[in-house]
Amino acid sequence: MAKEKMKGKATEDSNLKGTLASVFLLGFFLIFTWVSVYYLFLERL
Amino acid sequence: MNEMVKVDRRDAKLALAHIYVAFIALALGGLAGLLQTLVRSGKFELPANISYYTILTTHGVLLGLVLTTFFIIGFQFAAVSRTAGTFSDRVRFWGWVGFWLMTVGTAITAFFILIGQASVLYTFYAPLQAHPGFYLGLTLVVVGSWVSGFAIFAHYARWKKEHPKQVSPLLTFMAVANMILWLVCSLGVAATVLIQLLPWSLGLVDRINVLVSRTLFWYFGHPLVYFWLLPAYMVWYAIVPKIIGGKIFSDSLARLSFILFLFFSIPVGFHHQLMEPGIDPFWKYVQVVLTFMVAIPSLMTAFAMFATFELYGRSKGATGLFGWLRKLPWGDARFFAPFVGMAFFIPAGAGGLVNASHQLDQVVHNTIWITGHFHLTLATTVVLTFFGAAYWLVPHLSGRVMTKAMNRLAIIQTIVWVIGMTFMSGSMHFAGLLGAPRRSAFSTYGNSPQALEWIPYQIAQAVGGTILFIGIILVLIIITNLAFFAPKGETEFPVAEVAEGAERTPLAMENWKLWIGITVALILIAYTIPFIDMIQNAPPGSKGYKLW
Repeated sequence: MAKEKMKGKATEDSNLKGTLASVFLLGFFLIFTWVSVYYLFLERL
Repeated sequence: MNEMVKVDRRDAKLALAHIYVAFIALALGGLAGLLQTLVRSGKFELPANISYYTILTTHGVLLGLVLTTFFIIGFQFAAVSRTAGTFSDRVRFWGWVGFWLMTVGTAITAFFILIGQASVLYTFYAPLQAHPGFYLGLTLVVVGSWVSGFAIFAHYARWKKEHPKQVSPLLTFMAVANMILWLVCSLGVAATVLIQLLPWSLGLVDRINVLVSRTLFWYFGHPLVYFWLLPAYMVWYAIVPKIIGGKIFSDSLARLSFILFLFFSIPVGFHHQLMEPGIDPFWKYVQVVLTFMVAIPSLMTAFAMFATFELYGRSKGATGLFGWLRKLPWGDARFFAPFVGMAFFIPAGAGGLVNASHQLDQVVHNTIWITGHFHLTLATTVVLTFFGAAYWLVPHLSGRVMTKAMNRLAIIQTIVWVIGMTFMSGSMHFAGLLGAPRRSAFSTYGNSPQALEWIPYQIAQAVGGTILFIGIILVLIIITNLAFFAPKGETEFPVAEVAEGAERTPLAMENWKLWIGITVALILIAYTIPFIDMIQNAPPGSKGYKLW
């Protein structure tokens, strides 16, 4: 029960939209870098 | 309440001794780094017959092995004493034994490098053969670090005994996890040094199995990277939230990420050997998969950091998607330096994913891209976090306070570092994609058009290296001030509390038998068959070479 109460509090207080956007941007950057070097690899085959 | 807890003076002395050696290594190793970049620009030659490879080895050993190991152990001693209580005389005694073993080992190793008997670079790859004294010195450094590791384990065991059924303090838990990681991985380097390299350099055996020695080195070499990185994560997870006035997003998540690092940072050494013949591609593939697993705890850390900053910013009334960024204490060097370190970990991690992918590694292997990569991970992410930690740790231990002027200088130092590293590491990455090799001194390779393409990037590296050296001078001024000249007073050792809404940490997190068991199982799965193959189908082995 205490757990449920805590969960409720966390949901009310936290707004982590910026975190969600940040991790998405981070993910896109990782994919972009990887794909860029992959194309370089394909070009040099 | 936490602000008043101080590290005991005797423990502080032990931690400070480590930190002094670390910064002396930074001064000498940094100078060697500056000389390297100047030589590689093609505009400068070393005087008095000094070999490029001697300074390259000096740079790698002093900064990659000595600065890191000493700072980490000093920092962990302070963190454990601060969070799990003052050391017993016995623990402190063994801490000093570890310190002196490491210091004497460093002195012996440095001596043989500087007299030109060990220009084998910090990876000391066979068949390059150093003077036996070089290997002996390194052995003492590793053995000393083990002694210190066991001192930390003993203190942790006592805490657990005195606090049954309680979860240990987060920083102590993290220090224990990092020292277990170090102990398990350094067995590999101990094995290659004691069983292969030392008898071979003493002339007791003629030939060496090169592939086995490199495999044992990288069994150690990759987790070594995480041994550097985890103390930076300790600062990010458990200290930075306190500095900004926030809370730890989740204690359990922090512990879980450390456990995952223990699992996945060791059975992955083959991704450094993807281009090496003699290893079955299937086993390279297995270790590449495990390498990608190690990205998970790093991504968890990125999430936790963003969340910590956002929760804090919003609690201060931030609005908009990224409004919370404006609420962070940008003028506080204790926050600014580690934050910049975190930001640089994004391109560093992206580069790491490239290095670990078999085909992509063919583009960058043995090029200066790799050098650029680890100057982002170690020489920016980790080192800037260590500098940021030193800005409160050194005055805390020396009983002094950082003045506003020193804080401003520390902010400038961080900016100087960013500019220098962007030039140096950026140009290393681009030159690497054009095929410029790592490790080697300046050459136009008979004026080949491809090699001439690299020269502008090499000049940019020298510019960056020079700016970075100014950064080293600045940090040395700050640290000397904080240790000896700053006004006397009390500086806080910041330790953050867990956010109210976070779940309670389960006791099972400290089931070390299980975690070590899984770690050993993963290592056996990843290494046993290919290792047997390397020994059973070994070529005759190589004689030693001294090419300098």
